[in-house]
Amino acid sequence: MSGEHDSAGMPTSKRLGLSRRQVLSGLGGAAAFSIAGGSAAVPRSSVKSWDMATDILVAGSGAAGVSAAIEAKLAGAEVLMLEALPQLGGSSIMSGGVVYAGGGTSLQRALGVADSVENMYAFMVASAGLHPQLEKIQSYCEGSAANFDWLVDQGVPYTQKLSTAKGLPEGDESLYFSGNEDSWQGRRMATAVPRGHAPGVSGKTGGRRMMEALLASTAKIGVLTRTGVASQQLIVESDGKVAGMMVSADGQKLAVRVRRAVILASGGFVHNREMLKHYAPQLYDCAVPWAGAHDLGQGISMGVSAGAAAHRMQEGYAATTIRSPTQTLSGIVVNTTAQRFIAEDASPGVLGNAIAYCQQGAGWLITDDRSSLSLKQDDFPLAAEGQSIGDLAHQLGFPPGALQNTVAYYNRFAGAGEDPLFRKSTQFLRPLQGPPYRAWNLSVTQTFTPTYTLGGLHTTVNGQVLNGFGETIPGLYAVGRTAAGLPSAPYFAEGLSLGDCIYFGRRGGQHAVLQKVSL
Amino acid sequence: MIRGLALTALIVLASGLRAEDLPADRQIGPGASLVGDPARGRLIFGTCRGCHSLEQETGHGIGPNLHRIFGKVAGTQKEFAYYSAGLQAAAFVWTPQKLDKWLQGPVIMVPDTTMMSVSMSDARQRTDLIEYLKQASVKDT
Repeated sequence: MSGEHDSAGMPTSKRLGLSRRQVLSGLGGAAAFSIAGGSAAVPRSSVKSWDMATDILVAGSGAAGVSAAIEAKLAGAEVLMLEALPQLGGSSIMSGGVVYAGGGTSLQRALGVADSVENMYAFMVASAGLHPQLEKIQSYCEGSAANFDWLVDQGVPYTQKLSTAKGLPEGDESLYFSGNEDSWQGRRMATAVPRGHAPGVSGKTGGRRMMEALLASTAKIGVLTRTGVASQQLIVESDGKVAGMMVSADGQKLAVRVRRAVILASGGFVHNREMLKHYAPQLYDCAVPWAGAHDLGQGISMGVSAGAAAHRMQEGYAATTIRSPTQTLSGIVVNTTAQRFIAEDASPGVLGNAIAYCQQGAGWLITDDRSSLSLKQDDFPLAAEGQSIGDLAHQLGFPPGALQNTVAYYNRFAGAGEDPLFRKSTQFLRPLQGPPYRAWNLSVTQTFTPTYTLGGLHTTVNGQVLNGFGETIPGLYAVGRTAAGLPSAPYFAEGLSLGDCIYFGRRGGQHAVLQKVSL
Repeated sequence: MIRGLALTALIVLASGLRAEDLPADRQIGPGASLVGDPARGRLIFGTCRGCHSLEQETGHGIGPNLHRIFGKVAGTQKEFAYYSAGLQAAAFVWTPQKLDKWLQGPVIMVPDTTMMSVSMSDARQRTDLIEYLKQASVKDT
């Protein structure tokens, strides 16, 4: 039953008093999730004429879309890449540009780091939470070294420098531990090696530098690119094959004929409040969505409307990054009952995930005089300050004695360099002793905890979109955060999302060219 | 009308509703005189914070540093490499009023801007954000 008729058999548009044009343009508000003006797939028979035609249409110009476009173009296809915003680059251009790569990349080898595909696979599978997509992880690990070489070939700059400090290097070092490979838990999973590959630029502009290189490649090889053009609806043949897309540009609707495939690469849905409430309620409560302004779930909703299955839609990235880790991570993180629940030196995505998904969004960092956060920082508000742990506990309303017990137990072992509960690294282990004691609010509703969505369309290892029965939808691909890809919760290492975008974006572009041309 | 606006503001504050969740006819329109709430503004700034830092020593990120931004000539901070040609040529001084206009549509003011944001249509959100920035951008210790 199509959505165009209500239960009484009356066309919904008539009942609502809307003209066909209003329904088509999404102005009627009929699609609950659509704030980008899209709606359900339309049959090809309703399209009277085509305004444009191409072999491959890529919707979105972040790392996934650009990688797909480059590969499809190099394989000989005519490629049109559309971007809804005035600027190219998607969310990737706002990122740190970190790609999680290993298995013996040229950079790892140059720096004397011994990694293997098997070692990388073992760590990723053990870190990835429940029932990860093993086929994707395996493909990613096997192709990781070559994928890194591809980035180098595209002109992304890397330095042969290793950083051993925690977190994204402040300098221009290109290789670092972007996950918890070096932790007690990580070492039990696999040999600890660094796999965060960051463009060799100082500061946090690696994503911009990377996208500049990739976008220069698309221009050089002749990918046709248009900005300010928003995807609206898929156009589908009677046999289910995707035949094109309705797009809007300057208030006009245009029908684009697609001879081989549509590649949806339009990001996730963190800026779509209705979709968050529906699919990912934990993320709805987080204060800081972090993605390009057009991460509105448009690609996902268009795919679902064409019959696609969605996968792991509740999962998300939520990163609690505690700055000045060398001194601050000597503090402890507790929940609403004053209990520790994680090693405080967990990577930001793992700590944020634990707070957002496992502790009802709430947490506090307890520090002493030496581990205090800067009073100037605004990321985590000061919740309480006192001369004793008891003072703090009273101000925070914890159950009587609970925080005192937690600190006493922690101090008893930390003095001997041990953390029997969570095995925090010994470099951060020392008893909390010395006022003023402070509690810092880590709750996701009140703090700088950047979030974006990880769930999306269910795809094969080649990016083909699957329906609810596990069958591919002909002519439809999804890559990047429009797909449910490699990264799932908890997000155990920085660079998984961007790495997934590039690797599976490329595979999608390569595979889409193999689709039979329809005339 | 003014009373209606003031009442709406009270409802928003009291209920903890996001202004964006209000029906369109109860949104606070342009020109309304509002007093910004820096606590709300701080949370709104969270989305900007991924690219912009307020602390001098943190330097530039994907976007330029915003320490003591009010009073600076737009597009002229040293060592920030990603100003568009249009912003470099804009030659205006950042004031709360200019920022309010900017936030309503960066690409309307400077069409080639590299800022990855579309617009903040909600006047209350802009007022809250600007109030927060007035205070937080001048913290030195």
